[in-house]
Amino acid sequence: MARVIVMDLSRHNTVMVGHDRYFVLDTGGRAELVRDHCPHRGGPLSLARRTPDGRRLSCPWHGTKVGVAAVRRSRLPMVRSGDEALVVLPDGADAPVSVTHREILANLPPDPTHHDEGAEHG
Amino acid sequence: MTVTTTATATTTGSALARYCAQRIFQPVPDVLIAGNPFLRPIGPLGEHDFSVPATEAEFLGSGQLLAGRVLCNAYESDMILLPPAGLASAKDDFDLFYGDEVRALRDRVRPGLERYAFSFLDDAVPAPPVRTLDELQAYFLAEVGGAGAPADASGSNPAVDAAAPVSGTMKAITECRHPEEAAALHLIQLALDALTEASAMARNLGGSYGVEQSELFKIFNDEFGYGVYGAKHSTIFKEMLASVGLRTDLHAYWNFYLTSSLVGVNYFNWLTEDHRGMFRYMAAVTYLEWLFAQGFADTGAMLRAVYGDRVDAKYCDEHAHIDVHHGRMTYENLLLGLARAHGELVIPELVRGIEDTKLLLRLGDADFRAQIAWADALDAHTEAGAALATAAMDDAVTGTLRPGSPFSTGVYDADRLVEVESGEVDVHAWATQNPHRLGTGDVLLVPRGRLHGLKAASPEARVTVRTVERTFDA
Repeated sequence: MARVIVMDLSRHNTVMVGHDRYFVLDTGGRAELVRDHCPHRGGPLSLARRTPDGRRLSCPWHGTKVGVAAVRRSRLPMVRSGDEALVVLPDGADAPVSVTHREILANLPPDPTHHDEGAEHG
Repeated sequence: MTVTTTATATTTGSALARYCAQRIFQPVPDVLIAGNPFLRPIGPLGEHDFSVPATEAEFLGSGQLLAGRVLCNAYESDMILLPPAGLASAKDDFDLFYGDEVRALRDRVRPGLERYAFSFLDDAVPAPPVRTLDELQAYFLAEVGGAGAPADASGSNPAVDAAAPVSGTMKAITECRHPEEAAALHLIQLALDALTEASAMARNLGGSYGVEQSELFKIFNDEFGYGVYGAKHSTIFKEMLASVGLRTDLHAYWNFYLTSSLVGVNYFNWLTEDHRGMFRYMAAVTYLEWLFAQGFADTGAMLRAVYGDRVDAKYCDEHAHIDVHHGRMTYENLLLGLARAHGELVIPELVRGIEDTKLLLRLGDADFRAQIAWADALDAHTEAGAALATAAMDDAVTGTLRPGSPFSTGVYDADRLVEVESGEVDVHAWATQNPHRLGTGDVLLVPRGRLHGLKAASPEARVTVRTVERTFDA
């Protein structure tokens, strides 16, 4: 049976499920809980900056560009009512779960100093 | 950066003799040193005067080899090393290696030996007149282009050409009569650094120096496998060694590190130990990282050509991938980043690091090529030795070897003939289970600078060494 948690988005933006971290990504006005893991080498996408077109995240580790659409595919099912969100955890997840608030750069406006470097992903 | 010392030659010499006389730095009978990272034979100091810096012409001399071993020991006593079988197997040596007396002696001898070993870098190549950020950028891109890795259309580190044919030293290895021994010798030279990979870099992680500090940490993070032991570069390097039957314990092949390898690895430890060297270091790392991606793709191709499917070359594949990133990251964020942040004051030092590295790579390549060419043809050099025997000088030094005699490798400062007067002797010119056997009456030509060790293959063997002058390459 799937596990469900309730989180207060006004206080928390990050969920740890065992060693996997999820963060709240703003995707065009929608808050989605996506995996904080670059597909290249596992860099923290929550600390990525948006490319000037806003459609990709530039991973802070190697500059890998990860499409927001690809990042969204890692999202956990979430039902939101105001600041309260009901999150369905991954199947079989019996790992410890915690919610916290961390700095998230991925929701800031695009980085004006951005250079178009690094490989594309997703 | 200027190499300076305050110790007098006499006190340094005395401290050096005491340092080298430590039990853990004395030769042992074994050719390979198994499972004990604290046993590091230095070899006889002889009459060497380390107060006068070695010149480039003396780069492969016995003084540089001895200084290189001492400095390697000195720098690594700042690192944590533990034997794979557990500390109980070497607790006394651990205590001695890290103990007060050895560290005090180390601190006394190190500045003088650094001056001896590295001063030639300042004299060997005149620093190009690069002063501004634009000049630095143009200079760097011209240098890496000249080294065969021009920037791509975006101005960044080029992608790897995985299909490139092996060339240069990698090709020379495949063309040896004993390619597995030659390839193993290459892996052993890499092991000097790779088994403690990024430990020198770790010295530059602390402190507070701005954005560049975080940029270096990203690279370090890759080197250390993101905290996953199985992904740590030194771990996958061990897997590569093991796949071709080589030992994975640190410095098992201590006796087979070439002089140039020791100087090269010590250079990076020197620059990170003495923080005045940090700008040189950052530039040197940038230059290497830019070239490493294709370099390791070539190394992987060589290893697969030599060993076939049994080699686990993931280490090479990893570097062929990640160093494309590191080349770009170091260039844009370290080299140019430091130049932007600190300006023309540091640009000459950055250039110096690249010039030093170019020279060390060139000298190291020549040393390795000469070693495999000689080690691969010891039979021919035995014939040459016999032909030259009558031309030997009258300066014979004779010694007696027994199977249990202490073994160490060394180099001669002039061409020498090694003659076996009685018994049998094995010549170890690279790490092989089939060393070259000399019988009674055999004479081997050992060119100056060639690393070798002799071990008795009979209950007793008498060996005479004489200098020989050649007017041709045998």
